[in-house]
Amino acid sequence: MSKNNSEFSVVGKRIPKLDAAQKAMGRAEYIQDVKLPGMLFGKILYSKHAHANIVKIDTSKAKALAGVHAVLTGEDVPKKMKMGFIKDNPPIKKGNVCSLRDEVAAVAAISPEIAKKALDLIEIEYEELEGIFDPEKAMEKDSPLVHEHLKSNVLKMPWNIHYGDVEKAEKESAFVVEDRFTTTWVTHCCMGTSGAVALFDASENLTIYTNTQIPSLAHKDFLEALKAMGLENKRVRVIKPVIGGGFGSKLDTYAYEHIAILLAYKCRKPVKIVFDRVEEFKATSTRQPTVTYIKQGCDKNGKLTFRDMRMVLDNGGHTSWGATTPSVMLMPISSLYRVENVKYNAKCVYTNNTYSQAMRGYGNPQATFAIESSMDMLAEKAGIDRIEFRKINKNQSGDETPQGLKITSCGLEECIDAVKEELKFDGKNEKGIGTGIASLIHVGGGARIYGSDGCGAILKMDDYGKVDIFTGGTDMGQGLDNITAQIVAEELGLLAEDINVVHSDTDICPWDVGAHASRSTFVAGNAALGAAKKVKKKIQVFASKLFDVPAQEIELKDKLVFVPGDREKSMLIGKLLRKAHFRPGGTMLMAEHFYDPDNENMGKELKGNMSMTYSFGAHGAKVKVDEETGKVEVLEYVAAHDVGRAINPLLLEGQVYGGVIMGLGYALTEEVTVKDGEIMNANFRDYKLFTAKDAVKIKAPVIETDDKDGPFGAKGIGEPGCVPTAPAIANAIYDAVGVRIKDLPITPEKVLAALKDKNG
Amino acid sequence: MKAFKYLSPTTVEEAIAFHSRHSETAKYIGGGTDVIVKVKEGWMEPDYLISLKKIGDMSELHKNDATGELSIGAMVTHATLEKSLMIRNEYPIIHDAVSNIGSLQVRNVGTIGGNLINAVPSADGAIPLIALDGMALLHGPDGERSVEVKDLFIAPYKTILKPREILKKITIPPQAPHTGSAYIKFGRRAAMELPLIGIGVLLTLDDDLQTCPRARICLGVAAPTPMRAFDAENFLVGKKIDENILIEAGKIAADESKVRDSVRGKAWHRKEMILVHVRRMGLKCLNMIKDNN
Ligand SMILES: Cc1cc2nc3c(=O)[nH]c(=O)nc-3n(C[C@H](O)[C@H](O)[C@H](O)COP(=O)(O)OP(=O)(O)OC[C@H]3O[C@@H](n4cnc5c(N)ncnc54)[C@H](O)[C@@H]3O)c2cc1C
Repeated sequence: MSKNNSEFSVVGKRIPKLDAAQKAMGRAEYIQDVKLPGMLFGKILYSKHAHANIVKIDTSKAKALAGVHAVLTGEDVPKKMKMGFIKDNPPIKKGNVCSLRDEVAAVAAISPEIAKKALDLIEIEYEELEGIFDPEKAMEKDSPLVHEHLKSNVLKMPWNIHYGDVEKAEKESAFVVEDRFTTTWVTHCCMGTSGAVALFDASENLTIYTNTQIPSLAHKDFLEALKAMGLENKRVRVIKPVIGGGFGSKLDTYAYEHIAILLAYKCRKPVKIVFDRVEEFKATSTRQPTVTYIKQGCDKNGKLTFRDMRMVLDNGGHTSWGATTPSVMLMPISSLYRVENVKYNAKCVYTNNTYSQAMRGYGNPQATFAIESSMDMLAEKAGIDRIEFRKINKNQSGDETPQGLKITSCGLEECIDAVKEELKFDGKNEKGIGTGIASLIHVGGGARIYGSDGCGAILKMDDYGKVDIFTGGTDMGQGLDNITAQIVAEELGLLAEDINVVHSDTDICPWDVGAHASRSTFVAGNAALGAAKKVKKKIQVFASKLFDVPAQEIELKDKLVFVPGDREKSMLIGKLLRKAHFRPGGTMLMAEHFYDPDNENMGKELKGNMSMTYSFGAHGAKVKVDEETGKVEVLEYVAAHDVGRAINPLLLEGQVYGGVIMGLGYALTEEVTVKDGEIMNANFRDYKLFTAKDAVKIKAPVIETDDKDGPFGAKGIGEPGCVPTAPAIANAIYDAVGVRIKDLPITPEKVLAALKDKNG
Repeated sequence: MKAFKYLSPTTVEEAIAFHSRHSETAKYIGGGTDVIVKVKEGWMEPDYLISLKKIGDMSELHKNDATGELSIGAMVTHATLEKSLMIRNEYPIIHDAVSNIGSLQVRNVGTIGGNLINAVPSADGAIPLIALDGMALLHGPDGERSVEVKDLFIAPYKTILKPREILKKITIPPQAPHTGSAYIKFGRRAAMELPLIGIGVLLTLDDDLQTCPRARICLGVAAPTPMRAFDAENFLVGKKIDENILIEAGKIAADESKVRDSVRGKAWHRKEMILVHVRRMGLKCLNMIKDNN
């Protein structure tokens, strides 16, 4: 390791979130708090049927209601205004609806109550069509079509790869296991519900306040929306208020944003649309459900020979990023453990269910559930201890995987050892108690999905030693503000509270591809570090003239600029800034930096080093299974991660705890119950999010591998916490009572049914 | 949410008078944890909410040492019951039930009376009161009447209460010696959970500490209203209770339950949980009786 944590002043310190007091005291301004003069309230009417033709819409009564300013239907939406990366989704549908969350009309009124009343006055005549709700059935020849004109329910996506020779490897394998695993809908459950406020100025430029994780890409989407509305060459300003949680849910632009824009334009007034909790459950996107067929083999020494996986993803009625999650699933499939021969085929299938989106882990949890469950099955079949089996196949620094991922730093083995040590995998458990382990790989150094994976930062120093940094990166509660501040403070010899982080206003901040793929610490962190380095150099050059020593001898620490060992040559940084500024020909110290990691787009072959570095981890669980009820109690949980370097261990632990709790919900309790396309549990009573009382004590050992490309050695850790949780639990249940549950969530019902099956 | 006026009478008579004046558009409110949810959702649109909070004696929890009778005012909160040592020691089944209702916040304001009158099949508070042979004292425009708690319920959200009638208190007759009682709410989460099924068992033993003269097996979410498993109870009466007998009783209770498949859980699993927990709660009762002897 190049530098020890004790050599840092600010990096590696447990500094509480800089906005903690603001949030705790109710001062943080969320979208709910945005109020503009003359603002109207928008509401959306959703389809009554999962699949139907719209025969007639009568909005006359709604329009006549006092206080209503505008009523829109699909007819009012410009033809080219569409959402999603394949643009198959207009913000209000016309002619045909293919899910219950399809927007069919929208209203703007002087109060939310009147807007709601107006919705009730809209009369729509539907002609119901047969729906299809099972993706595997939707693939059958005679299945009803979700989109008639496409002639098939299967999306045209490129998810079909073959590295090496799987058939040959299978023949040569000593042991092979094969099975089917399924995962279901779960949803982000952000504490802050979705919403947007749109307004136009007199020159028809748009400002939109919106909960988004992608200010720059949203900016582009909204420019396109304006263009579709006939507003060419206009400006768009995206302002992100404080976000109450993202978890991937805000990685696309949505109907409510586009509808707010349309209504604001029509009414010439600001229009606000904010979801209530039921709407949040019903009209935002879920994690995509999967059906996975997996076959894996190993030789007689336990070395993995091949992995063959086939998946069917329920795409829902429209397409958002959910359909691209196979690109990330490919990463664990091809590269979690060393395996040379890999086949993967994924089909995204239209159904009349809700459409899915990005959610923390972006497909990785679904894939890892199948892979790591299957790893245990294969180890058992080969007669090899499951920890040993994983170690035989572990990834190592310097590896290049079949997909072309270049593993620069890898602490997987250390993570596995940490779990083993904490949980004592000695097989000597009481009846009904068992342990389980599962590992993970995830992108930890950006992820090149678009042409650019970059982030910009602009840094300016005032006259007193304080910094404003304008970053493209987005803080949505995860703590990027802290990370940015700590990185800049470390580099400039300041304290974290000297750094003011300004983010998420596209008029002010540079471009960034978005807060996704666990990339912000790495990419936005490197952008901030680059800008800080440039300013530091300017300070050193200026001080070298003052102190008359070479620039490289000058250090910055504890708010001082000084020459080590020479007490005369020391000055408060603030004073130096004033000396630089207030003189003839003076200057302010500022810098900008755009950091774009040296990672690769996956080409047609679906090969390439998509991230600069990869994060690794191993999770271990000790569970107790009540064999009479099927109820699973998590007794202990260990989540060890190779994070490169913990810039802020407090926040890091927070990310891991939160991830694990989300993962435990995924494993055991959470499920959006869907019946014929209808969400049956759109509330927190029936959607079983873990409560504080359910929370499990989690140990989170941190392995620091000091990545050569990370800012101060750090890699991304935003998503990994929820990636291998479900298989760790499933494996522990198997260890405890000998039943393998292959369908999430692992409810008492499923466990008990399996036990009854096993015991006859 | 529709606006309403909030009235705070200080006597039962005044409350009834308020209600009479505003008839259809008025609604009593205890802690409001059910009422306010319904008003907010628009399922209920009262013009007046008549709070029973200021009616002094309705919040009293009192055991008459002379008669052994327990009296629980309808406005006693779950938290008050949960924290009472007397309840914990002498009526463990009540403690079991109320201490797992909702969350701390809900228990701090939610009342036992509201829990009964809201009349959902999953009402945690109803099961122990039925098992303890509780009597409900009702007060209406025509005066007072007393009914068994088990007979309060007609259907989900429907009780036998007449218009404007108020539940004043619940009384529990003195408990026989050698009595044990226990309740479990079986669900998927540790808090904020509707039971998938609720199982309450009360057993009294003779001086031989074996023969059972009186048994109560009460079930929540097993029928449209909280129910007693009479067949299972009758099966136990007169028998010397051991684990095998309790297993049998569990089977009978599961059979006579009217559990259904729902989005929350499958009928077969609910039955299975009745079977398992009648035994477990029964054993808990036996241990309690032994420990107290
Ligand atoms: C988040 C949450 C979690 C919950 N969890 C649980 C749980 O785990 N288990 C459970 O059983 N319940 C639960 N509940 C439901 C509720 O909290 C309980 O039923 C509670 O006991 C209701 O009491 P209350 O005083 O708040 O009733 P209120 O809402 O005030 O009243 C309920 C009904 O009873 C009527 N009423 C109230 N008092 C009287 C009276 N003295 N005479 C006549 N009529 C009266 C009201 O008019 C109304 O119809 C939960 C509720 C919430 C919001």
